Amino acid sequence: MTSGATTTQTIGFEIARYLPGEDRAPTLRHYDVPYRPEWVVLDALNYLKDEVDGTLSFRWSCRMGVCGSCGAMVNGVPRLMCAAFLRDYLPGPIRVEPLANFPIERDLVIVLDDFMQKLRAVKPWIIPGDRPPPADAEYRQTPAQLADFKQYSMCINCLLCYSACPVYQHEEEFLGPAVLALAQRYDHDSRDRGNSQRHELTWSDEGIWDCTFVGECSAVCPKHVDPAGAIQQAKVESTMDWYRSVLWPFGRR
Amino acid sequence: MASPYPRRRSRRWFIERWAYQRFVLRELSGVVLAAYMVLLLLLVSSVHAGGQAFADHVTTLRSPLMIAVHVILVLFALLHTVTWFQAVPKGLPLRRGEEKVPPALMIGANYVAMAGATVIIVAALVA
Repeated sequence: MTSGATTTQTIGFEIARYLPGEDRAPTLRHYDVPYRPEWVVLDALNYLKDEVDGTLSFRWSCRMGVCGSCGAMVNGVPRLMCAAFLRDYLPGPIRVEPLANFPIERDLVIVLDDFMQKLRAVKPWIIPGDRPPPADAEYRQTPAQLADFKQYSMCINCLLCYSACPVYQHEEEFLGPAVLALAQRYDHDSRDRGNSQRHELTWSDEGIWDCTFVGECSAVCPKHVDPAGAIQQAKVESTMDWYRSVLWPFGRR
Repeated sequence: MASPYPRRRSRRWFIERWAYQRFVLRELSGVVLAAYMVLLLLLVSSVHAGGQAFADHVTTLRSPLMIAVHVILVLFALLHTVTWFQAVPKGLPLRRGEEKVPPALMIGANYVAMAGATVIIVAALVA
């Protein structure tokens, strides 16, 4: 497979199509795309949209794993289409479907409303509390304090973790991996004093305690955020907090 | 107004991907180990009941069926051990300053501790 742009070699695609109001359910349609070893699935989809069928709908923006727009199920596994090389799926065909566990707007475009609402609910921003930033300077933070949350701040909200999570598939109330990892990111930020405002939700049954630690959220995460780890650590912290509240009723931490 | 296609739920989700099958096996290993505790309690109760009851129990344990059951028990016990230790650095990560303690080191330390505990228990039983 050393061919370049000069060859007529092709690779097959099975792409889920759904037009609301016309189709009763999504159906797979077959397409042939010229094979180029340097192409990713997103390149192939853009080729199809430009050259074959302009009605094919999908989200994308940056082409380089930063924006988090182009998530889809590639051969049944949640992937960023910009990071899924055709050469890794030879000889094909490559099946491309919208991200699992979300309603489908059209073709590969999913409805994000549930996630956006949950994201807002955990207040993913710095809550200064009674310790506002110094008036004449920025917050100070040591490298160790930064290392305490930096990994969780790499999330690009691509929702691959929600597609990999069987708990989210069956429990619509579940806040889900990315939202809980982001809550952990602010809980562990030395500048933040909003823990008590978040824990009522994140440490509840719809939060960390719905998670059964399947671990696939971390396996599919393109930014190595490790939401499964974040959630298990929050479970330990929540348990310790409960014991403290029982054993030291007068002086909670 | 055209509406979105609703999200799909699968009743067969746990067999649809190897990662989910592995998860279900891991969770089942807890149930299997609980079942082994029942077998262990039956053994203790036969010892308590005296020589003949214990001899009968040993005969039962020697049957091919019970040997097969124990092979399955060992496999699940191994799975339980491996997955439990793998979970340790996820749930209780350690950091020295900015550096993460390597997960492999934490997992290895658990195996060493388990080996040490095994040696102590076996030595106490033999002595």
